[in-house]
Amino acid sequence: MPTSRPARSSRRYNIVFSAVIAVVTAALAGFIVLALAMVLSRGLPNLWVSLQTEEIQFSIKLSLYTSLASTALCILFSVPVAYGLSRFDFKGKGVITMIMDIPMALPPIVSGVALLLLFGTTEFGRWLADAGLPVVFTVKGIVLAQFFVNIPYMLRIMRSTFDDIDPRTEFVARTLGCSRFQAFRLVTLPLSKNGLVAGAVITWARALGEFGAALMLVGATRLMTETLPVSLYLNMSCGDLPLALSAASILIIISVLSLFIFEAMGGSPAAITRGGGGAR
Amino acid sequence: MIELRHVQKDLGQFHLKDINLTIERGEYCTILGATGTGKTLILETIAGLHRPDAGQVIHAGRDLDGLPPEERNVGFVYQDYALFPHLNLADNIGFGLKLRKLPKEDIRAKVEELANLFGIDHLLDRHPGTLSGGEQQRAAIARALVLEPQILLLDEPLSALDPRSKEKFIGELRRVHKLLKPTVVHVTHDFEVALALADRIALMHDGTIAQTGTPADIFRHPSTQGIAEFVGMENIFSGVVADGGVVLDGGLHVDVPLGDHTGRVNFAVRPEDVILSQARLESSARNSFEGKITDIVNRGALARVTVDAGLPIVSLITAQSLGELEWTIGSQVWATFKSSSVHVF
Repeated sequence: MPTSRPARSSRRYNIVFSAVIAVVTAALAGFIVLALAMVLSRGLPNLWVSLQTEEIQFSIKLSLYTSLASTALCILFSVPVAYGLSRFDFKGKGVITMIMDIPMALPPIVSGVALLLLFGTTEFGRWLADAGLPVVFTVKGIVLAQFFVNIPYMLRIMRSTFDDIDPRTEFVARTLGCSRFQAFRLVTLPLSKNGLVAGAVITWARALGEFGAALMLVGATRLMTETLPVSLYLNMSCGDLPLALSAASILIIISVLSLFIFEAMGGSPAAITRGGGGAR
Repeated sequence: MIELRHVQKDLGQFHLKDINLTIERGEYCTILGATGTGKTLILETIAGLHRPDAGQVIHAGRDLDGLPPEERNVGFVYQDYALFPHLNLADNIGFGLKLRKLPKEDIRAKVEELANLFGIDHLLDRHPGTLSGGEQQRAAIARALVLEPQILLLDEPLSALDPRSKEKFIGELRRVHKLLKPTVVHVTHDFEVALALADRIALMHDGTIAQTGTPADIFRHPSTQGIAEFVGMENIFSGVVADGGVVLDGGLHVDVPLGDHTGRVNFAVRPEDVILSQARLESSARNSFEGKITDIVNRGALARVTVDAGLPIVSLITAQSLGELEWTIGSQVWATFKSSSVHVF
């Protein structure tokens, strides 16, 4: 039949098309797994020994402390701001939203320079230091750098979380006697629990890996400002490969785990990058 | 009494141009209008969730401007119910009571009383996501009524229900309104719902209230062609209840679903529900009348045929069947409609 030839060749094209997609996908996945495997295969055997060293113990502790503190700060700021951007319409909302996104677009190292200039060279920075909050070359500076770089991510996740909650549940709560704050606390906040946890986990994982901004603001000093990424950097520089790769392995394990938790909490990578500009 | 005076609100997508409406205390008022005309916005303005750009909302002689929703004593039920998904039904219904810090036993008792009224008392431990639309519907209304609001605002509460649940729920709403006597403002696009429930209907068109009146008023005297078309019923009759049906002024007896109606009633039948046939139909439809065709108007695929059976009955039939049956003005036919397609008001 004359129709059978185009049909057969079209079928062949379909198979080729699917095959190409499968090969490219497999290649990309393989590439990523291979890269990680290189680190893990060399880092994991030394992990136990490395964990005994003072340096790795110090950097794990410092990383945990700073990342938890900066994540807490991110939650503290992102919840009210994201709620406001999600629920209220006001003049300049677009501009504000864009400003909040800027640190995400900046190279972290530029953010670090900006923070260094703000806190290191101005009256404001000196006043803060005198008030007992020195930032430059201190652990507090690490927290600040992580906060500055990560706040846009937390904000976006919270914004999309609040956007996904029907404001009419709040309306109904209001008619039942809630003030604005009560409606937020009793209805919207419990409903945003998953988004909050997912956002906190991903923010925390990013904070653990923050390097560029903190490097500019507080430097890379052994056993002083040595977080896990700094430890990786310092030990790579001076050739202590086992220690460096142990730090890298720890970071990989934490990142992959938190990605799993993030997905399990219903977060999606799209939530981070989704444009939050549309007004309700 | 609720009074809306020259209320204006522009939300871009929805626009109230000039809303004037008075709703008496204890009245069941239905705002009827096509989808997307801003009916919900009227309710949200009464509830205080939006502040009007201009105009006033007055309740019991008091201008409500600036009064937040939590101080207005209104109950609100949304089309999709907006139950709190993180709370079980008991906590949903008792939400308002808990805010008022009532003793636990009192809350439980009141919640059970209302759940009982709506037949959802066996579901109190369940979460909204596990319930059917009708069950959620009842819970949402129970939640709104638990504080005994003076005003109950209903936003298309029946639109998501299947026809059978809808009919049943109309009966429940009627019963609850009789029992608790709140002032009800119910917005809908469904004329039959309005007909079944409303003491008064306010017709909304183009951001204004085009006409208000009893269902019979609106039926009989639609103020504009647009309203007449929206109302969409041409066979409107009046008669007296007798023998499980209605005896019309002309003496014809019509089987209708009477419900709790007595005395003089109006009823209507949609033209598309009237079947025409050459001979009397052997079917369960009991309302069958013989008469002569007095008028035929072709409307594309459909033809509007008027039959004089002691009273004029209008039927919509396909132009094709009209042609095949070779009916003309003067032909003798039977007009039949089921009693379930009769709308009493």
